Amino acid sequence: MRARIPSFLIVAALFGLIQTSAASAAAGAAQGAGTTGIPRTADGKPDLSGIWQVMNTANWDIQDHVAQKGVPGGQGVVEGNEIPYQPWALAKKKENYEQRATLDPETKCYLPGVPRVNYMPFPFQIIQKPNELTFLYEFVHAVRYIFTSGKPHPPGPIEWWLGDSRGRWEGDTLVVDVIHFNDQTWFDRAGNFHSDALHLTERYTLTGPDHINYTVTVEDPKVFTRPWNMSMLLYRHKEKNFQLVDYECYAFDYQHLYPFPEIGAPK
Amino acid sequence: MRTERLIVAFGIGVALLSMTLPLGGQEQKGDKPAVAPRPWPPARLADGQPDIQGLWAAVGAGSVSLTNPVSVAVDFDREATGKDVRLPSRIIDPPDGHLPYQPWAAAKQKEQGAAYNRPTRPEHIDPQHRCMISGVPRLYTIAPQFKIIQPPGSIVFIWDEYHAYRVIPLDGRPHLGPTLKTWMGDGRGRWEGNTLVVDTTNLRAARLSYTGDFHSDKAHIVERITAVDADTLNYEATVDDPTVFTRPWTMRVVDRRRPDDEMWETACYEGNPPPDQWLVKPGTERR
Repeated sequence: MRARIPSFLIVAALFGLIQTSAASAAAGAAQGAGTTGIPRTADGKPDLSGIWQVMNTANWDIQDHVAQKGVPGGQGVVEGNEIPYQPWALAKKKENYEQRATLDPETKCYLPGVPRVNYMPFPFQIIQKPNELTFLYEFVHAVRYIFTSGKPHPPGPIEWWLGDSRGRWEGDTLVVDVIHFNDQTWFDRAGNFHSDALHLTERYTLTGPDHINYTVTVEDPKVFTRPWNMSMLLYRHKEKNFQLVDYECYAFDYQHLYPFPEIGAPK
Repeated sequence: MRTERLIVAFGIGVALLSMTLPLGGQEQKGDKPAVAPRPWPPARLADGQPDIQGLWAAVGAGSVSLTNPVSVAVDFDREATGKDVRLPSRIIDPPDGHLPYQPWAAAKQKEQGAAYNRPTRPEHIDPQHRCMISGVPRLYTIAPQFKIIQPPGSIVFIWDEYHAYRVIPLDGRPHLGPTLKTWMGDGRGRWEGNTLVVDTTNLRAARLSYTGDFHSDKAHIVERITAVDADTLNYEATVDDPTVFTRPWTMRVVDRRRPDDEMWETACYEGNPPPDQWLVKPGTERR
């Protein structure tokens, strides 16, 4: 005896199939081209949570540079490799380069500025909540908040080391507007610098589960003749049980004193 | 002599103020802070954690002393008037409220207790006055607020001073290797009802107060952070450090919820000269 499947069941099954494929097509469209298979938060936004680090030499020099003792050579991260300095600023950049051993703010262990803090040779952790993203850096335990609540920048003038960051989602890209900087940080160890008029537009786009395409548009009419861009990848740390440790830079000169000089820091 | 002591105390006071007061303009941040009522018992997050997220600050905060935790202002008055003030100890075990130092360690603490507001050597300057990160458990005694964030599988504490934070995994992973010492220690947490229990190892040796309380890098700390009601946390840390103490001891701090608000950048040592240049006065030892 042949089993008979009631025709209404077949229709129901087909309908179900159509619905499922329509739903996934809609989801695909919402995610945008090339961003399927990326982690997402409960509210459907790309989830940037995780521990990230660059694999480049931008902290030594954001432009193309040859190797020196202790300095890995590398391709730059500046699009077109050209930084459009005003003439006086180019002269100052050269002066900074000559005196970089003492002038680079990194040697003083200060909060290193944005975007530099993102491409230093240390990992950082992103924690994503609907109204804010928190960036925790291994370097000097730096903390950076990117507010996505829609609140505008607070009124200035404010001179912060890491600026004031306001983010919004454009499709699957986190776009961050950063202002309120001081003029005390550099872009790299090669003396590339900016003024307190620095204005950044950062873009963070997950291109897959483990890579963020990170671009920065730099504007500073006091120092440059036009806006210019940096572009690089952030890589997710995938090692088992990987975690941030610490690089408490400022403490290195004093830790031998505590708790008391005779029982000071670990060797 | 007396005047000189006051000047040094005043110098320390100014230094503390400059470190603890927010930057100009910080008062008027954004909109008025929203005071959203929180449910009790706490809501559960997707990963099962009780939701204690938000801003918190210690009640009766201050790092002057663990056993007589007067505020910096009271400490200044005490120095100026010569009249002592006694407050209940933060130490709840041993019951006498004293820290159970071994004799050599008690001597070190006493030495610093006499020198902290009259520094004649670099080590007399409290690490916090250098803006060095204070570590665990000391950061739970400071006045600036801290923030709790609970991403899935972990809990994060971020302090509104010293750019300090700690990330505590709740997934049962093992501690770091024992030789890897860190300023914030290596915390591993688990929830027991509304109590977060954190096992913290891998600590550097550190000062615990201006007046020279300290632990060694052998310290093992078990913290119990209990949500008592929607707006109150009870923080207890039991410190086991047989190198310095004769027995484990426990301190307690109570935290109150603060209104929700944006936390902003807090630089500390950035752009400042080291305090050695103006605080240390060799040859002015207390007699």
